[in-house]
Amino acid sequence: MALTFARLKLRVLRNGFRGRPGKVLLFVLGLVGAVVYGGIAALLFAVALAADIPALTMLAPAFGGAALVLGWLFLPLVWFGIDESLEPGRFALLPLPKPVLVRGLLVAALLGVPAAATLLATSGLAIGAALRGGPGPGLVAAVGVALGLLLCVVLSRAVTSGFAQALRARKTRDLAAVLLAVLAASLGPIQLALTSGAQQVGADRLESVADVLGWTPLAAPYVVGVDALEGRWLSAAARLALTAVTILLLMSWWARSLESAMLGASGGAAVRTRVASGTPVARFFGRLRLPRTAYGALVARELKYWVRDVRRRASLITFAVIGVFLPVMTSLSDPPASGAVAQGLHGGTMVLVGALAGLGIANQFGYDGTAYAAHVVIGVPGRVELRARVVAYSWIIVPLLVMLAVLNAVLRGDLSVLPVMFGTLFTAYGTGLACATHVSVWAAYALPENQNPFAINTGSGMAKSLLAMAAWLGGMVLALPVLVLVLLGGSVGAALALPVGVAYGLAAVWLGLVTAGDVLDHRRPELLTAITPRN
Amino acid sequence: MTEDSAFALHGLVKTFDGKVAVDGVDLSVPAGSFFGLLGPNGAGKTTTLSMAVGLLRPDAGQALVLGHDVWRDPVRAKSLIGVMPDGVRLFDRLDGTELLTYQGLLRGMAPDVIDARVTELLDVLALADAGRTLVIDYSAGMKKKIALACALLHAPRLLVLDEPFEAVDPVSGATIRDILTRYVAGGGTVIFSSHVLEVVERLCSHVAIMAAGRIRAVGTLGEVRGQRTLEEAFVEVVGGRTATGAELSWL
Repeated sequence: MALTFARLKLRVLRNGFRGRPGKVLLFVLGLVGAVVYGGIAALLFAVALAADIPALTMLAPAFGGAALVLGWLFLPLVWFGIDESLEPGRFALLPLPKPVLVRGLLVAALLGVPAAATLLATSGLAIGAALRGGPGPGLVAAVGVALGLLLCVVLSRAVTSGFAQALRARKTRDLAAVLLAVLAASLGPIQLALTSGAQQVGADRLESVADVLGWTPLAAPYVVGVDALEGRWLSAAARLALTAVTILLLMSWWARSLESAMLGASGGAAVRTRVASGTPVARFFGRLRLPRTAYGALVARELKYWVRDVRRRASLITFAVIGVFLPVMTSLSDPPASGAVAQGLHGGTMVLVGALAGLGIANQFGYDGTAYAAHVVIGVPGRVELRARVVAYSWIIVPLLVMLAVLNAVLRGDLSVLPVMFGTLFTAYGTGLACATHVSVWAAYALPENQNPFAINTGSGMAKSLLAMAAWLGGMVLALPVLVLVLLGGSVGAALALPVGVAYGLAAVWLGLVTAGDVLDHRRPELLTAITPRN
Repeated sequence: MTEDSAFALHGLVKTFDGKVAVDGVDLSVPAGSFFGLLGPNGAGKTTTLSMAVGLLRPDAGQALVLGHDVWRDPVRAKSLIGVMPDGVRLFDRLDGTELLTYQGLLRGMAPDVIDARVTELLDVLALADAGRTLVIDYSAGMKKKIALACALLHAPRLLVLDEPFEAVDPVSGATIRDILTRYVAGGGTVIFSSHVLEVVERLCSHVAIMAAGRIRAVGTLGEVRGQRTLEEAFVEVVGGRTATGAELSWL
C-alpha cells in the first residue's frame, strides 16, 4: 500500500513537469545543490567520526544533528512551505484505515529533495562510525540515521499540520495564542544559543551542551554512533528508544490533525447572521478613514484579507517571529561594541529585517488566486492596485517594525541608536518593497487552493525560495548607500540616517510602484494565468 | 458582421501547450438578443468567453463590445460589460454586502448609488438573510447568485455569463431566469454558455453550438432547431453517440 502512495507521489511530480522546462530546470538546480551540500556535510560528518579527535567526535553529530532537526522544524514554516501534492483531503472518500493512510502519506513525504539531502548528509555518520569501529558501530549509526530522517520528516509534517489547524481558527484571540506559543517555542533555541555564544571560550562547556543535546530528540538519533564506538551499547539503545517514542508520539499527533484537515474547515465556520447596521458603503469601510474610491476600497479589502486569510496570517506571524528572533539574537549575543561598530551592526541587522519585511508581498497576487479575475474584468489601473496593496501591508507591518526597533534598543539599554536603526530599517523596507512588488508582477506563482497555509505545489519550493532570495538580496543591495552613510559618516551619518533613510525608502517604493504598475497594466491576463492553480 | 451587433468575435484562436482549444471563432451577437452558447464539455466555451472579456489573451483574433475592442480599448469596453466567469473564485473572505460594495467602488460608482443598488440586489436575490456570513461559507447556488449580482451592479449594456445555471437549485434558477429575462426586455444583451438545453430552449432567442474549438451551428433558435428538438439538433451537430443497450450489461 505504501508503495502505491510512493508511485502516486512520483507520478504527480512527473506530471507537474510536463511542458514546463523552467520548472524542470529549477528542480535540477535544487537536486544539484542538494547533492553538493549533502555530500560536503556527509564528508565532514564522516571525518569527524572517523578521525580520532576526541573533541570533535561528540560535538559534530550533536550540534550538526540538532541544527538539522531544528531546520526541519522551522524552515517549512518560515521559508519553503511543504509539498502537499498528496493532499490528505483527497483520500477522505477512499476506504483506507487511518494507520495505512498515515504510513502512506509519510512514505510520500519521504520522497523529496530535502529528505534525500538529509539522508545523504547524515549517512556520513554511519560511514565514519563503520570506518573507525567496524560493522557493529556502523550499523548502529545507520539505524540512528534512518530514525533521524523519519523524525525530521514526521516533525515537519506534524508541526505544519498542527499549526495550520490553529491558524484556521478565525478568532483573533486564538491567533494571539498561536503567536505566543511560537515565541515561547523559539525562546529555547535563543537561550541555548546565548549560553553557548556567551561562553565560546570553553570547549568543555560546549561538550556539556552537546551531552545535554544528545539526550534530547534533537540529537539523540545522531550520537548513537559515538555511543557504539565507545562501547556504551546500553545508552545507544536508550537513545534509539527515545527517538522511536518521539516519532510515534508525533505520528499520533499528526494523525489527529490529519483527521480534522480531511473533514475540512466547515466544522469551525460559524454562520454569522447578525444583522448589520449602516449602509453598505459605511459598513464596508467601518472605522477606516479612507476615500470612497477604488483606491480606498482596495486598501480596505486588503486590510480585511491580511486579517481573514489564513495564508496571509501565517506569513505575518512567521515574519513577526523571525523579525523578533534575528535582531534580538545579534544584540544580546555580541559583546557591547563601541560606537561605529555598534552603529554598523545595528544598521546591518535592520537592513536584513527591513528587506525581509518587504518580501511579504512578493507573491501578493498568488494569495488572491483566481479571485483576482474580478480586477482583470474591471481593469483596475496597475499603479492604483499596487499602491493600495503596499499601503495596506505597511499599515500592518510598519507598527510592527517600529516595535521591533524599540525592543532592540531597549534590550541594548541604549536608546540613542534608535535614529540609526529607524533610518536603515525604513530604507531597506522601501527597497525591499520595491523589489518584492516587481517580483509579484513578473513572477507570481499559484498556491494550491487547500486548507493548509503552508502547502505549496510540487516543485514550487525551489522557485519560491530562489525568487524570495533574489528579492531579499536586491532589497539589501539597494539599501547599501544608506548603510554606508551610517558606517562611514560617524556622528554626522548617525544624525542624517533617519531623514535620509526615510526619504530614500519612500523614493524607492515610489519608483517600484510606478514601474511595476505600468508593467501590470500590460500583464494582467498573463498574471491571472500564472496564479491560476492547474488542477 | 451586422451594424447592430452588441458583441462580435473575429477569428479568435487559443492554443495551450500545442493543443488547439479555440480554433478560429467568429460570432456576432445582435443587440437585445438572449444568446445561448452551447457545447459539450471541453468544447472551448469558457476559453472563448474568457478571451472575449479580457481574462485570457488570444493568440489571434479580435473581440468587440458595442464597437470597442476589448484588447485595444479595454477601459471603455470593460465598463460596458458585466461578467460572471465560471470556475473562478470570488473575493470570498468578504460577506455578500462587502463583496458587492467592493465591486461597485472598484468600478468607480458613487457611494449613494452603491448603497441603493446593493441593498436592492441582495433583497431580490434573497441573499439579505445571509447577513455577515462570508461568501466562502455560501452554498453553491448562493455563490452563483452573488456572482451574478457582481456582474449586474454597474448596469452594463452586455452580460457575459459562463454557466450561470450550473449547480443552481430550481428556485434560485427561476430567480436568475426572471432577472435575465427582465434585463433583456429592458434592452440589454445576454450571452451565456450552458449545457442545460432545456433552459436554453426556454430562454434564448439565438443559439450557437460549439464543438472542438469551432462554432458548428449558429442562428436564431428556430433556425438551429429546425423541425427537431434542440437536444436532437445538438447531438447531431456535435456528433454524439447513441447507446445500443449492449454496454454495461453487468449493471
